Amino acid sequence: MRRSTRVKKYIQTSGEVSDFSKLPLHKKFSIPDLLYVGYGLLIVFLVLVSYVLGAFNLLPNDPQQINMDMLMAPPGTGGHLLGTDFMGRDIQSRLILGIQAYFLPGLLAIFISLSIGIVLGVLAGYRGGYAETVITYFTNLVDSFPRLVLILLVIAAFKPDIYYIMMVMGITGVPAVANAIAGKIRVLAQKNFIEAAIALGLRTRVIILKHILWYNCRALLIIQATLGMGEAILLETSLSYLGFGVQEPTPSWGNMVQSGANYFMQGNFWPSTAPALAILFTILGFNLLGDGLNNMLEGKRSR
Amino acid sequence: MAQPLLKIENLRTYFYAHSKQAFVRSVDGVSLEVGQRETVGVVGESGSGKSITAMSVMGLISGGPGVIGGSIHYASDKVQKNLLEGLENYVQLEEGNGRVLTVKKDESGWQKASEKLMAGMRGKEIAMIFQNPRASLNPYITVGEQITEAVRLHSGISAVKEARERAIHWLERVKIDSPRLRYNSYPSGMSGGMCQRAMIAMALSSEPSLLIADEPTTGLDATIQSKIVDLLQELKNETGISTLLISHDISVITRLSDRVAVLYGGAVVEYGPASQLLDAQAGFKHPYTAALLASVPNQQKIRARANLQAIEGEVPDTINTPPGCRFYARCNQITPEIRDKCAAIHPELKDVAPGHQVRCWRFIN
Repeated sequence: MRRSTRVKKYIQTSGEVSDFSKLPLHKKFSIPDLLYVGYGLLIVFLVLVSYVLGAFNLLPNDPQQINMDMLMAPPGTGGHLLGTDFMGRDIQSRLILGIQAYFLPGLLAIFISLSIGIVLGVLAGYRGGYAETVITYFTNLVDSFPRLVLILLVIAAFKPDIYYIMMVMGITGVPAVANAIAGKIRVLAQKNFIEAAIALGLRTRVIILKHILWYNCRALLIIQATLGMGEAILLETSLSYLGFGVQEPTPSWGNMVQSGANYFMQGNFWPSTAPALAILFTILGFNLLGDGLNNMLEGKRSR
Repeated sequence: MAQPLLKIENLRTYFYAHSKQAFVRSVDGVSLEVGQRETVGVVGESGSGKSITAMSVMGLISGGPGVIGGSIHYASDKVQKNLLEGLENYVQLEEGNGRVLTVKKDESGWQKASEKLMAGMRGKEIAMIFQNPRASLNPYITVGEQITEAVRLHSGISAVKEARERAIHWLERVKIDSPRLRYNSYPSGMSGGMCQRAMIAMALSSEPSLLIADEPTTGLDATIQSKIVDLLQELKNETGISTLLISHDISVITRLSDRVAVLYGGAVVEYGPASQLLDAQAGFKHPYTAALLASVPNQQKIRARANLQAIEGEVPDTINTPPGCRFYARCNQITPEIRDKCAAIHPELKDVAPGHQVRCWRFIN
């Protein structure tokens, strides 16, 4: 006998009908979203593994060993899976080690922009008034400053260190987070559950941390974090191309693309193509992860 | 007579309208009493200051200048205090020519002092339910958890399991079907009426002495409205809670209230027992109340195919208050003898019968 697998239970008492749904907003995860998030998580996993391998120096070859006999060796020759670069260094090892340039600095950038952004966003959105005006001016000021110029200024003043670059990136990322949080709180304030929570006697701290940030802003914050990571990699790449990123001989994907590009037209495409593809798939992974999580947690809700 | 549970005296709440560059007197001298185990209904048009009165009692007014004066005496078995004690010191007011010219208010000082006075009051002593119940619940937390949170906050039950049982008990008391299943529902999965029941459960779970119901039936279907009113009636009989019921729906007020206050232009124009005040035939009546009652459809009017009367004119402008009665421009009961007084002097609330007061020159000698 065939039985319906989807049973929607309706219970009727006192004339009020509604259906039981365990999930908050009738979310059904769509297949593309699951694929996005699955791919994104795979990339996150690969990045973590690469970071650990690099940190404990568990690389297939010594990434700094110069081998003059094997310059520009094509992929697969002499134990070099992805070939060698113009100094005969193993590209695969350098790729794995290259993640060191992004992982901790990227996390630092995300941490700075989220922590300062949340504080400013809550102040602007929840407190309003004078604080809101000042914070709006501040975020507009930071937003109006070209990020690259700011970074070049810092590099000129100090030294071309990835941590300085990422600190600037973190600070320039503050306005986006602050505006998103403040905007979200303004939307929430229009529905009056915050007012109802105050009337219930909840402490302001509980309302902000639990009811606003944790339950209503967590999706937004996860998305900001994943997008921030992709952005950090992209920024380092563009700086490396200008020669201001991570400096040789320390490998980063940006300076690998840059040094390999000189030989691209001679037919030696792999020294720059391998890191370029790594950048492409990693950033794609982080962005799709953010997008998928956004759709799962925030979007497509029935209001 | 026993001391009233809530006694609002001369409450004034003003707002600054940026577009008009002037102060709007939303609540301008409201005085009300809610006795023990009594339901007081507050009726009035939109903009008459009903909701603002309720929010002022709860200390929920934000935005300047807000509450600027008056007193709110609260006296339950556990707590006796004036919720606006000593707050006048933070405000300086300058009036002239029927307008409020400047209000100087030390907002942060006021807020701090007000929070101190309200500590332990909100939710515990005075609970509030709002209109549009679904928006009053956090959309990402299950209804049960939200009630549990309220129980743990106010009932001294810290064990999660026990609090949960109490929450389920309250879901049952507000007649939500299969409360154990409902416990895990999110607000979006419930109807508006269900959400309002959950809100009532949350409000009453701390066993407060006073419930402020701010338009509890607005935005619900007519049949659901009726059921919510039945529920409130029943809970009132069971728990003996005092209620300040705010509504523009006279039928809701009629069914629930013991006493009724009619608000017009930010002030009480009539205050008395519901039976007298809402009886269209009864004698002493403010012209505004009479007009309000005439605008409500009832059986006789429908049978007689009579037209419903609308109240002419518009809600009064509370920025420039004329010196006379605020209802003067819309009043249809002015007699030649009192016309001068109506136009020139704002009348006082005057007893017309025991416990029944009307603010109208017709009843002052």
